[in-house]
Amino acid sequence: MLKYAFRRILGMIPMLFLISIVVFTLAKLMPGDSFSGEIDPTKTNPQYIAEMREKLGYNDPLPQQYFRWIGNFVEGDFGKSARYKIKVSDVISEKLPNTLLLGFSSLLITYILAFFMGLYSGRKPYTVADNLIGGLNYLGLSIPSFIAGVFAIFLFSFTLGWFPSNGSIDIGMTEGTLEYWLSRLHHVFLPAVVLGLLSTASYTQFLRNDIIENSRKDFVRTARAKGTAEKKIYNVHILRNSIIPLITFLGFDLVAIISGAIITETIFTYPGLGQLFLQSVGTRDYPVLMTLTMLFSFLTLIGNLVADILYGVVDPRIRLD
Amino acid sequence: MEIVTQKDTNISAAPPKKSSSQWAIARKKFLKNKLALTSLIFLLFVAIISFLAPYITTADITRINIGEMSLEPSSKHWLGTDKAGRDVFTRLLYGGRISLLIGMSCTLFVIFLGTLIGSVAGYFGGTVDSLLMRFTDFILNFPFLVFVIVLNAILFGKVNGLWVLIGVISLLSWGGIARIVRSKILAEKENEYIIAAISIGCSPAKIIVKHLLPNVLSTIIVQATITFASMIVIESALSFLGFGVPQEIPSWGNMLDSAIEPDVLQFKLWIWMPPAILITITILSINFIGEGLKDAFNPKSRR
Repeated sequence: MLKYAFRRILGMIPMLFLISIVVFTLAKLMPGDSFSGEIDPTKTNPQYIAEMREKLGYNDPLPQQYFRWIGNFVEGDFGKSARYKIKVSDVISEKLPNTLLLGFSSLLITYILAFFMGLYSGRKPYTVADNLIGGLNYLGLSIPSFIAGVFAIFLFSFTLGWFPSNGSIDIGMTEGTLEYWLSRLHHVFLPAVVLGLLSTASYTQFLRNDIIENSRKDFVRTARAKGTAEKKIYNVHILRNSIIPLITFLGFDLVAIISGAIITETIFTYPGLGQLFLQSVGTRDYPVLMTLTMLFSFLTLIGNLVADILYGVVDPRIRLD
Repeated sequence: MEIVTQKDTNISAAPPKKSSSQWAIARKKFLKNKLALTSLIFLLFVAIISFLAPYITTADITRINIGEMSLEPSSKHWLGTDKAGRDVFTRLLYGGRISLLIGMSCTLFVIFLGTLIGSVAGYFGGTVDSLLMRFTDFILNFPFLVFVIVLNAILFGKVNGLWVLIGVISLLSWGGIARIVRSKILAEKENEYIIAAISIGCSPAKIIVKHLLPNVLSTIIVQATITFASMIVIESALSFLGFGVPQEIPSWGNMLDSAIEPDVLQFKLWIWMPPAILITITILSINFIGEGLKDAFNPKSRR
């Protein structure tokens, strides 16, 4: 197991290397470079631009530029943002907590909702409530997240006025107070639910089907024959067996959150990494764009790795080699 | 994700006297599935009125009409007009044309690429297999949305927008299909009839196309339905974010992007509600069709 995990982690290195080449090539193919985003060509002396280009190394051969970039990257120097004029790492670390909060609350809400809905549906299958939950899940799986977001803002922010429709914090809050955190949670709730919609639906459905399947197994019949209370059979005997496979979804959730964050943060104008990414594409802020793309790719790799390893942990019959 | 409820797997019906073909059984099962059939009819209806849009409505979709900006639904404009004074109903039909066209083309390309790579990898095995599968892993490990946006930003304006979008989406999303087709082919090629075909000297291409693919076709068809739904979602999401179909061409996603303005979202429901509801119902019905097909092709399900 450990050996497998170790080998997979080693296998990530060439993958990351390949991805970095792709990212670099793409950034070079994009029109303009980060320097042209930084200056106003109409007001600057063309000779100065040419000199600066030479000085910044934009005229060097591409492989040389690539190795300089990747070398700095590995050392943690991601360059300077063309738009914000500060270090890329500072720009990212400013937005990162927001996205982390969004991701974690989304996972938490997903788990809580799916746990109770799945448990109920699994215990009382083919009832009205189960069909209702099933219908909701079907809608959750089918409705694209940006449409869900638009509807959520319309309904809960504008019509009912329960949640704010944008931003991550109310204006004029002092950091560290209870109110500050409550305001942040208040802002993150709606985007987190929308972000977790798809996973909530699939978790619920998985848990339901697994509970139904398990409830027909011999160990449940034995427990019933011994006179174990029905409540205990479901909450202890079956639940233990049904909850474990769910952890294999964790890796995929990580991947889903990355792409979900781009869409959700844009709809809710929530200042996180996803929004930063779209802005950096729009403003041709290459250092930020390249760093974020590498970061997202890295997280996707980690997510897929976690999923594969957890499969082996949960089901020892899957041979990992 | 499996959402079909687990049905009992025992086959209760007596064996039929003259056994029908796999396709006849599937067709019969599918036609009995009311939900799937209704969905199919709905989808066909949307597709037909979208593709006949020029004959149904005469309103001009490109002209910006300042005199008729943001009008509420009326007898002249069934679903009102948008912020540029264009008729929402007309745009909905033309948008459906683009969205369905992109969805279908992407699905075709994705299925073609995925089947080609999956079947070659599965049939030949060995080095070819591991090379192709490493490549598939590589593609699958890309954060899809991130790379689609970056690629679109690069290629945008250089080539005709729609085909760039279709190409970029297709090139990045065949990985899943390739894996599924490969695993099916791996299982299928161990059968005796394949060994027989090899021994009488069939070429690999002929074995794959004539003997292997027909036997994995049902899986491919089900996958194609799911892909079609997700391609429509991807197109509309990208257009909504402003990285998909060029602004001047109406698509369901483009029509929704004005919903980002609070004023439109709160007070001008007729601008964003129709495409939002239509996309959702379309995706739902495609998913129902997919479930219906999966059920129809599943020999264990009884219905």
